[in-house]
Amino acid sequence: MAEMEAKKEEKHSKRSSFWVWVMASVVFRLILVYFHKNLNLSSRPEVSTPLTSIRRLAEGYWLKQSSMSPYAGSMYHGSPLLLSLIGPLTVQRIQGKPNYLLCSLLFVLADVVSAVLIRATGQKLQTAYSQSLKLLELDNLSRSSEILSSGDVAALVYLWNPFTIVACVGLSTSPIENLAIILSLYGACTRLPSLAAFGWVVATHLSLYPAILIIPLIFLLGYGLDAPPRKLFVKRTHGKGGDNPSSGSSCQQEELLIQIKLPLTFSWKPVMHFLFWASVWSVYVLALCSLSVKQKGGLWEMFKSTYGFILTVEDLSPNMGVLWYFFAEVFDFFRNFFLIVFHMNILFMILPLAIRLNHRPCFLAFVYIMISSMLKSYPSVGDSALCLGLFGLFIFELADMQFSFFLFSGYVGVSLLSPVMHNLWIWRGTGNANFYYATAMAFACFQIILVVQSTSAMLNHDRKLRKLYVTKP
Amino acid sequence: MAETEAETKSVTSRMRQRPIVRLGFLLISQSVIVSVICCTAGVLALLLLPVLAMNTYISENALMPGSASSMLSHQEILEANKLVRDIASLTSKPAGAAVESRGLIAQYMSNLGAEVNYHKFHPRSNQFHPLHFFSGPGSEAIQDNFSCSLYGVNTVGIVRAPHGDGKEAIVLVTPYDSVRGGVGEALSLGIAYSVFSLLTRVSWLAKDFIWLVADSQYGEYAPVTAWLRDYHTPVFGDLSSLNTEMCDENENIFKLKENSIPERNISYTFRHAGTMAAALVLKVAYRNEHFEDTLSIYAEASNGQMPNLDLINIVNYLAVHRQGLRVKVEKLWSLLEYKWLRILGEILESLGKLAKSLNPDWKFGISASDYVEGTATLASSLYYQALGVPTGPHGAFRDYQVDAITLEISPKYSFNNKDRRSDFLLQGGRLIEGIIRSVNNLLEKFHQSFFLYLLTSPGKFVSVGVYMIVFALLVAPLPLVAASLYADSNDLNPASRKDKKPINFDDLGGLLKSWKWLNSVKRVFVVHLWGAIVSLLPYFISQICDYTPTTNFLIWISLSMLILLILHQILGSPYSHMREIHSQEGEWALLKSVTISSLFIGLSLMSVINFATAEIGALLIVPTTLMAYPLKLDIKARSLRSLSRMICNLVLGVISFPPTTFFLLKGVLEGFKGINAGDFWNWIESLWAWNSATYLYIGMVHLPCWVLCVHILLHSC
Repeated sequence: MAEMEAKKEEKHSKRSSFWVWVMASVVFRLILVYFHKNLNLSSRPEVSTPLTSIRRLAEGYWLKQSSMSPYAGSMYHGSPLLLSLIGPLTVQRIQGKPNYLLCSLLFVLADVVSAVLIRATGQKLQTAYSQSLKLLELDNLSRSSEILSSGDVAALVYLWNPFTIVACVGLSTSPIENLAIILSLYGACTRLPSLAAFGWVVATHLSLYPAILIIPLIFLLGYGLDAPPRKLFVKRTHGKGGDNPSSGSSCQQEELLIQIKLPLTFSWKPVMHFLFWASVWSVYVLALCSLSVKQKGGLWEMFKSTYGFILTVEDLSPNMGVLWYFFAEVFDFFRNFFLIVFHMNILFMILPLAIRLNHRPCFLAFVYIMISSMLKSYPSVGDSALCLGLFGLFIFELADMQFSFFLFSGYVGVSLLSPVMHNLWIWRGTGNANFYYATAMAFACFQIILVVQSTSAMLNHDRKLRKLYVTKP
Repeated sequence: MAETEAETKSVTSRMRQRPIVRLGFLLISQSVIVSVICCTAGVLALLLLPVLAMNTYISENALMPGSASSMLSHQEILEANKLVRDIASLTSKPAGAAVESRGLIAQYMSNLGAEVNYHKFHPRSNQFHPLHFFSGPGSEAIQDNFSCSLYGVNTVGIVRAPHGDGKEAIVLVTPYDSVRGGVGEALSLGIAYSVFSLLTRVSWLAKDFIWLVADSQYGEYAPVTAWLRDYHTPVFGDLSSLNTEMCDENENIFKLKENSIPERNISYTFRHAGTMAAALVLKVAYRNEHFEDTLSIYAEASNGQMPNLDLINIVNYLAVHRQGLRVKVEKLWSLLEYKWLRILGEILESLGKLAKSLNPDWKFGISASDYVEGTATLASSLYYQALGVPTGPHGAFRDYQVDAITLEISPKYSFNNKDRRSDFLLQGGRLIEGIIRSVNNLLEKFHQSFFLYLLTSPGKFVSVGVYMIVFALLVAPLPLVAASLYADSNDLNPASRKDKKPINFDDLGGLLKSWKWLNSVKRVFVVHLWGAIVSLLPYFISQICDYTPTTNFLIWISLSMLILLILHQILGSPYSHMREIHSQEGEWALLKSVTISSLFIGLSLMSVINFATAEIGALLIVPTTLMAYPLKLDIKARSLRSLSRMICNLVLGVISFPPTTFFLLKGVLEGFKGINAGDFWNWIESLWAWNSATYLYIGMVHLPCWVLCVHILLHSC
């Protein structure tokens, strides 16, 4: 009893300390927002890409206000909805305060909401996981999985990640994009097809790449949350049931199985709901867009200058991705071919990963996001921030990951080296584009190592579970 | 028994499969030997650099220095002499000399048909912009207040090129203090004037020529920066009107002066020419040289940036082969007297001779005196680059990616010798003319030759490809040792795998076994945070109180200690969940591993920003961090090895503390007499006032690393 009390106490203190850290992160952001002019983050190529830059958005808004197409002049490439949502904030002033203040507050709010949603998702995942471990009678493991609240860790990692902070203070729109993705994951985890569909449609509308998340979302809704491989449960219900002389208890367990909706069968109903809602939301979003750009070129121009711009890699200004340099160098007549190759790269990995990781849809979503943030045409630190935040959700499963310290040092080193190389190239003139591109490649390498290592750690964790389950007395 | 055998077999077979992995394991397991070898090799290679230096060559063919014969005639020299005389006569009567000499120079310029304008500027005190490095020039807003009574006026003359399109320009700067100007400055004006008057008539000029007479009463650097800032930041509307709003009464005086000059070409509106291809700063100083006329070249700009080597090459070529000047670059004179350096030089010389006798094609020997001179020059080159403070007004140009150097000509005879003056003017004028003619030939901006190099003599240099090896050798042990320490403390090493304990899932320590480095990372982060705070402190101290440097220094030290204590209390105390990990035995090893990794990252970054700082810093801090070992364990061991390690640790710990390093170096180079605790403060203040990256390096890499080393030394294992 006393132990329970102590645990409760501890939980309470943990919760309060979580909110303290959240508040601290908000205060830290506000301090940085105050020094916005000095930091000048919004002009860094790592922070604001052609898609996420607030300055381009302000330009688009200005064009729209003067009743021109916001896509005229190839400055703005985002969604028209974002334009109506954030656009007014870029010109609004409150009593002599600088005009970026409202935008900054909006982005800070988006970050906090994302963190809270990540936390809720993490708690869902954790309870479901420890339940399924209990069901496998791996009590030891299930107890240890409860020690550290992965939701809290992930939320705090997301909030305190320098990448997130920089993306938020640097006024790129990626906090909004990240919020949409996290919203869809949260909706799927809490089995709310309409919310999941809304998040997915908005995220796809804003940055196109989250479209591939439809597979993990369907798995999440169909199979339920992340769990150990399904084979183990099958073994449990059939193999062990025969051994057990008292059939009553096995019946009970089966009931329990049904009760917590274990992922043995694929349930079509929520998936159908999801698909229905997704179509409803997409029609809705498209209708809003067409209203917004009706007199200025219509939907076709919108698609051309948002999705078309993303897919054809028109803007070759340096960013932290690997595509700009390549397409600056490649001969024009090979351009289309390589465009197809690079985009296929993402699509090729979808199917094998979906087959191998179908019992862990959330982790699958993490891997997809990671891969697309690596290979997308205009990546920014905001995308990496989302990946690292989601990475925290699997802290228990990935406890034995290799090279963690190496990866950490690499991330720190490269993210410091990249602005220095940029300075050397652009301001000092003693370096050249290769210097900067080298850091972009190094960054991509570290991302690859992270995704490979985390996937293999996850598979090892599955193997370990199987071993423990089989050797269990 | 059989089981362990099988295990080792499987391990060996796995290792046999991948030679690279095997090699990596070998290096990591032998990290002590590897680090000793690498560090020694690094120091030796540094001493070998003067031998490895290459002769300079002109890389850009378009420059063609000295291919055309000089057109500067006695006519121009006569006029220049007249200007020098006029200015000298003006300076003899002090009242109003400043205004009049300015008017005089403008008059002379406009008489030649050049466009002339005055540029009024307000000198600004240097301010601390810690992030200045990452932003471009001109990003500092024009918001700082300046007093209106303090202002200087630059005089700018522009010759438009008859064949040019006005998109490129060459700049010649002559600092001239209109109040206290001496004969030297008048002579530099004379040289510049002779070239200027020649260039108004020649037909070959393809780039506009700008002659900036920088008003150097507030230092030589400030007027050039002010002019460059206004040149590169477009001001929409009239600049003078902007000034009128701020400083009203000055403008009235100004207008009066303007009216007194009845020339149409002279104006107050800012005149532009094209982008600058190169800039020269010309100074004349009498240095009492006994042998011949000498030319000193100063090239270091802020943060160790150098102009393109081709610019130095053409100056060197023309000065030596055409004008017969003796070219010098800075040397650390005290190094010349060291015995051990001479002995080392003699050894190298005999080695070179030996090599030559074995194979006549091997030519790497240089004479001992050359070696000593080269080392002294190299040391000063390293020092001035590491300091990150520009050595002259040319530094301002580098911020705008313009290659620039300062030329200081010192004649053999004193200035009073009137007969020699014409010869001297001719010589200097022809040199400048040759350089300008060369730069005029350029088709693109300087890009062919090196930007990253160290000079060992005016005609010899060490390129980035060579000196990077030295640095790489020094820092190569860092990742190896970090990996080996990390592997040891995590039992990842295949050798120590046997006594593997079963993982205990019940506690957090067992669960997050592979993440236990996080705790050490937190400590290292806290110390680096402290470093950042410490490097911000001097700015506030100098803002708030106005004490002597020594007091400031003491305040700084005590505040830093206080903050370190506070941070240790708040953040340094182990996180409640992590206590279990904290009490583990090998914690210091993990801490050292993380420290070394952070040092590696910091040094690599610094080597990109300012190589010289990273090199000097690595020489000091790398051995200290690699050696660091808890004193308690050494005392317990009581062997000769541990005793010597302890002594080494203590000595290195004392030496690598930045203030002691500074005082020791100062004492060795200048003598221990008259060393003052405030000197360090003054030095540091000069660093941050010039926005040197070295300052940030000391505060945010070197000092935290030193603190962490001391922490490891005093660790209670």
